[in-house]
Amino acid sequence: MTVAEARAPGALSHVLHSPSLRLVVRRLLMAIPIVLGVSILTFLVLSLIPGDAAQLLLGPEATPAQVAALNHQMGLDQPAVLRYLHWLGGALHGDLGNSLVSGQPVTGELGSRLAVSGELVGLAFVISLGLAVPVALLAAYRPNRLVDRISMLVSITGLSVANYVFALLLVLLFAVRFTVFPAIGFVPVGQGLGENLRSLFLPAVAIAFPLFCFYTRFLRGDLVDQLQGEDYIVTARAKGIGPWQVLLRHAFRNSSFGLLTVVGLNLGTLIGATVIIEQIFALPGIGQLLLQAINTRDYVVVQACVVVFAIVAVLANLLTDLLYAVLDPRIRYGDS
Amino acid sequence: MRTRIQQLLALAAVALVVAACGGGGQSGGNGAAGPPQRGGSLTVLEAGGYAGAWPSGLDPATNTTGGANLSQMNAIFGGLFRLDADENGGNARVVPDLAAGYDLSPDGKTVKITLRDGVKFSDGTAFDAAAVAFNFTRDVSSTCTCAPRWPLVEQGGISTEGNAVVLKFSRPFAAVINSMLVSNVNWIASPAALQKLGPDQFKITPVGAGPFKVEGDQLSSQLSLVRNESYYKQGQPYLDKLTFKTIGGDQPAYQALQAGQAQAYEGMVTTPLIEQAQSDKRLTVTVQPPTSPYVVQLNTKTAPFDNEKAREAIYYATNVDAIRKGLFKDWYPAAQTFTGPGGLFYHEIVPGYRTYDLAKAKALVAELGGLTVDLGTLRNYVAEQANTALQSQWEAAGIKVVMHSDELNALIGDFNSNRWQAMLQTAGSWDPAAGVGVSFRFSATSPFSGVADPKLDDLLNQAAADVDPAGRDALYTQAGKYVSDNAYAPYILAFAPTNLSVRGVHGPGLTTKIPPLLVNTGVQWDGVWMAK
Repeated sequence: MTVAEARAPGALSHVLHSPSLRLVVRRLLMAIPIVLGVSILTFLVLSLIPGDAAQLLLGPEATPAQVAALNHQMGLDQPAVLRYLHWLGGALHGDLGNSLVSGQPVTGELGSRLAVSGELVGLAFVISLGLAVPVALLAAYRPNRLVDRISMLVSITGLSVANYVFALLLVLLFAVRFTVFPAIGFVPVGQGLGENLRSLFLPAVAIAFPLFCFYTRFLRGDLVDQLQGEDYIVTARAKGIGPWQVLLRHAFRNSSFGLLTVVGLNLGTLIGATVIIEQIFALPGIGQLLLQAINTRDYVVVQACVVVFAIVAVLANLLTDLLYAVLDPRIRYGDS
Repeated sequence: MRTRIQQLLALAAVALVVAACGGGGQSGGNGAAGPPQRGGSLTVLEAGGYAGAWPSGLDPATNTTGGANLSQMNAIFGGLFRLDADENGGNARVVPDLAAGYDLSPDGKTVKITLRDGVKFSDGTAFDAAAVAFNFTRDVSSTCTCAPRWPLVEQGGISTEGNAVVLKFSRPFAAVINSMLVSNVNWIASPAALQKLGPDQFKITPVGAGPFKVEGDQLSSQLSLVRNESYYKQGQPYLDKLTFKTIGGDQPAYQALQAGQAQAYEGMVTTPLIEQAQSDKRLTVTVQPPTSPYVVQLNTKTAPFDNEKAREAIYYATNVDAIRKGLFKDWYPAAQTFTGPGGLFYHEIVPGYRTYDLAKAKALVAELGGLTVDLGTLRNYVAEQANTALQSQWEAAGIKVVMHSDELNALIGDFNSNRWQAMLQTAGSWDPAAGVGVSFRFSATSPFSGVADPKLDDLLNQAAADVDPAGRDALYTQAGKYVSDNAYAPYILAFAPTNLSVRGVHGPGLTTKIPPLLVNTGVQWDGVWMAK
């Protein structure tokens, strides 16, 4: 037995008793009733919408026997509880059913669409935060000076312009005038990471810009409050710590909690934004799929999309909480 | 949310038009340059919610949005017949395509469609009478709203004779060939491929005998087609690859063309953008001859329009000239009956047609004790603008209006369930007997009609049956007057969308004019080519 092997049980025990892991496990367990609740609620709402799906699919010429046969084939003649349990059983095995309109399995379609939207949203977060943090720091370093005033102007402008208008302006400038980025379409990673990022850049910037503006204003305001009114900042300064260090090591660390919270909360807004942006840039993402499913009253696809959104939201909240612990060692979830 | 998105996009579109780049130049006239060159990949954009939506796939027997997807279907399946026209859109006529010809019996009750010899589906199997009869039988028995409404005899209605298919009708149906062009029976699927793939997979990767075959298909998002090497026309199609992409609307499509991301866009309807595109040297703008008029269908099967006075109030409250001239600057011609100037049997005027009379409208509304109307339409720039104008005109007469617009599929659902009162719709096709024509909008058996009037049914059946064009014209004129006299549906204007392509792209229906069969033009993709 090697030393490493001898230590393994202890290491495992250490990991298993880690507060962060306990948090993850506890939150994942809590997520189950949340996702179940969302799926039940969605199922109920979709079941209550008037109209016979089979009649809708078959058209008015269909005989009652044909309607009944399709209802039976789709399992729509069963009580709602049984139908839900049947759907749930399939979902637990990774089968979210078949689209009512196309007859195709929903799971496969969702997978490819989710990859597009996930990458788009991820890139938007990277761009917005990557720009907002340094700009906010600069603005807060010398409040009411040139950089702060410019960032204020840009932020207010950005928050006043809807992202689809901004998207069209981006295309006009960077795709039509300067042909630097494509105006529409998605290139999968498999065809080259460079082309993939190029195809997503403009839509990601369109989503990121309002976020950047919001994060900049939010973080700048919080930083200024910290710098001007908190005792620990006065103490740090009294110790002779330089202004940049005070800003970065003390004020920013505290302000990042607030920023993290709003980033987590923004995820829901982003889903709405992707629906519009995916339409404008002809991106085959989940937002486009959801819109199509609503338009075609494809309840199975709508149900699957909503559940996926719920899972993503729960996971995003969990990630936010974990990051709290990383940013502030004093936070020990699970400890009394 | 979608309505708001569309409205805001339209607003943004107008704002961006001002800032958009482009110089002066001529539009149109890009179709005659030649000779055609072989090769190239062309991406054509289609608006989501209409031509860019094919949620139920592309199997002719189950594609509920077939009329909106003429382009995709024609590219994959070709057609037994097609509509040809001179470059300026004149002299439009139906010509055989995969069929070699047809014979209609003098009594209009039998039609024999002869097929070309030696044609093959793209999977290599024979395109013959048995395959066509199989498709016809399958289409007729489909419960899809796309099923043809042929008055077939009960026994032996569809049969084969050598390399011909024979259709026998219980009553004369002279318009059978013209009506085929906008019906799913014009698109013939490979029976062998259907059997091999099964219906669920076939609707995703259908196999036909058209100029292109399917390479990839993401429903309502992207359709990638490659040249069908066994296409019956030697040397055609010219393009190596044809890709259909769905896009959010006119403005993003216009910008994508300007950016070189696509080479064509079918069905632009945003008037300010069309005007802007006409001054862009990089683009060819082809305004098609209007075929299909917009009409406010009034559902006489339910309140409030089961009362003729309510229908008359709508006629008198509607100021068509104000909409045509004030809103659309005379862009679209007037129409008071079943087709526009690009269609068969067009008549601008119906004698005795009720014209705008606010005082009469107000009096009728007062007599009714008030009138509240739910007015719907397809989500489309022209339709939504017109509906907004109608709302304000009707409200001036004391009519309360609840307005909404929907995507095509949602609209089909409303019709299917008879949950509608008034709908602004296109109500015509190149031949009034065909597709979304008069029967579709006015016959008692159609779910898309708000009228149940045996006398009108009889008139329309006679008009579809008459083998003499002059006789058909007279009957349609009579039917138009009947619709007007009974205040079934005020006509607004004849509308046709516009096709855009980048310079260097040429093709019938794309850069030359062909009257739209329904709303969109039937682009002949086998004749489309790109200059290198």
